[in-house]
Amino acid sequence: MITNSAKTQIDEPLLTSMLDRLIPPVGDLPGAGQMGLIDEIVRLSGQQTRFQEIFETAVKTFYNKNQDFISQSESQQDEAIRQFESTNQDMFDSVLTISYIVYYKDERVHKRLGWSGKTPQPDGNKMEPWNESVLDKIRTRKPFWRQVD
Amino acid sequence: MMSKNTTTDKSVDVLVIGAGASGGAATAWLAESGFNVKCLEQGYWQDPSKYASASKDYEFEMLTNWAPDPNKRQRDEDYPINDTNSPVTPVMFNGVGGSTILWTAHTPRFHPSDFRVKTLDGVADDWPISYEELEEFYDLNDEVMGCSGINGDPANPPRSPRQMPPIPLGKDGRKLISGFEKLGWHWWPSDSYVNTQPYGEGRDACNFCGHNHMGCYQRAKSSTDLTYWPRALRGGATIETGARVRRITTDESGRATGADYIDSKGVDQHQNARAVIMAANGIGTPRLLLNSTSDEHPNGLANTSGLVGKNLMFHPFAMISGTFPEKMDTWQGPLGNIAMSQEFYETDKSRGFVRGYTYQFQRSLGPAWIANGGFRNAVPWGEGHHEELEKRLGSLMAIAVIGEDLPEEHNTVDLDPELTDSDGIPAPRLNYTLSKNSRDQLDHAIVNAKKVLEAAGASDIFVDPMMRQSGWHLMGTARMGDDPRSSVVDKWGQSHDVDNLFIVDGSIFVTGAAVNPTPTIQALALRTADYIVANRQDFKG
Repeated sequence: MITNSAKTQIDEPLLTSMLDRLIPPVGDLPGAGQMGLIDEIVRLSGQQTRFQEIFETAVKTFYNKNQDFISQSESQQDEAIRQFESTNQDMFDSVLTISYIVYYKDERVHKRLGWSGKTPQPDGNKMEPWNESVLDKIRTRKPFWRQVD
Repeated sequence: MMSKNTTTDKSVDVLVIGAGASGGAATAWLAESGFNVKCLEQGYWQDPSKYASASKDYEFEMLTNWAPDPNKRQRDEDYPINDTNSPVTPVMFNGVGGSTILWTAHTPRFHPSDFRVKTLDGVADDWPISYEELEEFYDLNDEVMGCSGINGDPANPPRSPRQMPPIPLGKDGRKLISGFEKLGWHWWPSDSYVNTQPYGEGRDACNFCGHNHMGCYQRAKSSTDLTYWPRALRGGATIETGARVRRITTDESGRATGADYIDSKGVDQHQNARAVIMAANGIGTPRLLLNSTSDEHPNGLANTSGLVGKNLMFHPFAMISGTFPEKMDTWQGPLGNIAMSQEFYETDKSRGFVRGYTYQFQRSLGPAWIANGGFRNAVPWGEGHHEELEKRLGSLMAIAVIGEDLPEEHNTVDLDPELTDSDGIPAPRLNYTLSKNSRDQLDHAIVNAKKVLEAAGASDIFVDPMMRQSGWHLMGTARMGDDPRSSVVDKWGQSHDVDNLFIVDGSIFVTGAAVNPTPTIQALALRTADYIVANRQDFKG
């Protein structure tokens, strides 16, 4: 059990199992839960009060409805998640959103995808320069905007 | 009505409410013309070096602290908006620069026909001004903001040379263009207020980071904090940030006398002024006018017509996305500033609707953005997640549809009877229904966008028939016109009711056209400021 705030506690084994079903193993990477992302999920969700509140409520609500989740089969777990998704969409979305964000900022995932992982700034990207010849065809079209007296 | 607030500042010639696209332009023009101008802005100055695009948490920030929807962002300077009765959520930013901080700076102009929709198509109303009357102010604004683009677009009238060449199209842009060219349909590189070479004061060229919609770290994207505001301050204007206006005050004759506001320390203040300019956007301005009731203005300020807050227009916005078989590094370059098509812009009644729409080409971003849906459905969780993510990453593009919404009085901004901001000021409430004409436009556009994507080689096409978080363009809620019975302001943006009250934001639009409105908003603001300089020297103390 890890403490996210004075008010709320998150059941770490449950969230680990849930993450493994949301983002399952691929290649040589384990599922998102086994990758140990929960600390970062908790840290990041705390960066905005609105988000943190809905995320913590979501995890708590899921836990209250699925206290035997860890002992369930994978298919039962998937069904429990689907049920939660269909009945608590906003809450579920908060869990999925932050799970995806944290998973795809992990260097191990970047390596597997061949994604640079760098922040958009300060380096930016390189693009081929503007080439006016691309207009050759469209420039043959006569003006067709509507004339007004 | 006299103010009951605790302190009184010395009077200024002109008080501007809001420091965004229009407020910045009007303030700079007036200050440079010798007026003593003060601006009240509820937000704060932004430091581009602290924009989230350089943060390791940028993908979380994009959805929370830098979200364009103020109801999700929930900064202290934001006010809540009740949007439960609207299929479109409003998006905006409160700060010096306003929503130009978070816009993508796609800057097409209205067409001449957009000012004559009643005459040409028998719907809505004509504007009391023409494209030609606004053209010089479009040009002036382009010069200050800095426009990249190229002349010769056959869908638009000829215009002055752009300040900079267009943004490169990229592999992805050329791919979408191939679809339009196969069908023989129009496209043209977007006009953008994004530097493709150094331009303006301390502003570099774009480095194609793809995230200028979170504020431009590079200062390459034009926002009025970087363009108009330095000029305004040099001209002697002042700006007070963290200043939340409670109401515009008036005297016994009904003329505007200034504004009551709460300063950044939470203290009630009053600013006296000989004239007031509203520049608080198409939601903020009617909210303030409706909050400014008095014995002389019992239905809200400038509201004899009863039209303050009515005729709210968005641009109905659909998104059609597809995945291409090749990887095209779609995260390189501004998200929405590749090119546009106006093949279906003008009315063709054989289509079953009036007016038309613009297509805007869209890139996609990195893996977390794609996984969370970006501009389409989220990548499914569970088995199959990885395969789908990898298919979309670097290969996903979209065509956005910007349709022309027509004014309807039942689409409104009014005051919520219960919801307030953190200072207890009644918050705005939206009531908006998409019209059949707008729906028909979008449906027509969706069919044709699918054809483009297929012609370009995309598959797995996904349609969002109307994006919910698409209310960037807030228009029509204090409309312009010659007749005081059917409009709020005259053709100069001057209130019919209160001769020293002007409005310069998107509220005054008569119709919305089918393009991003900011160059038109700014051109109108410059035109109003020019009118004041030429005709209202009496505002000078």
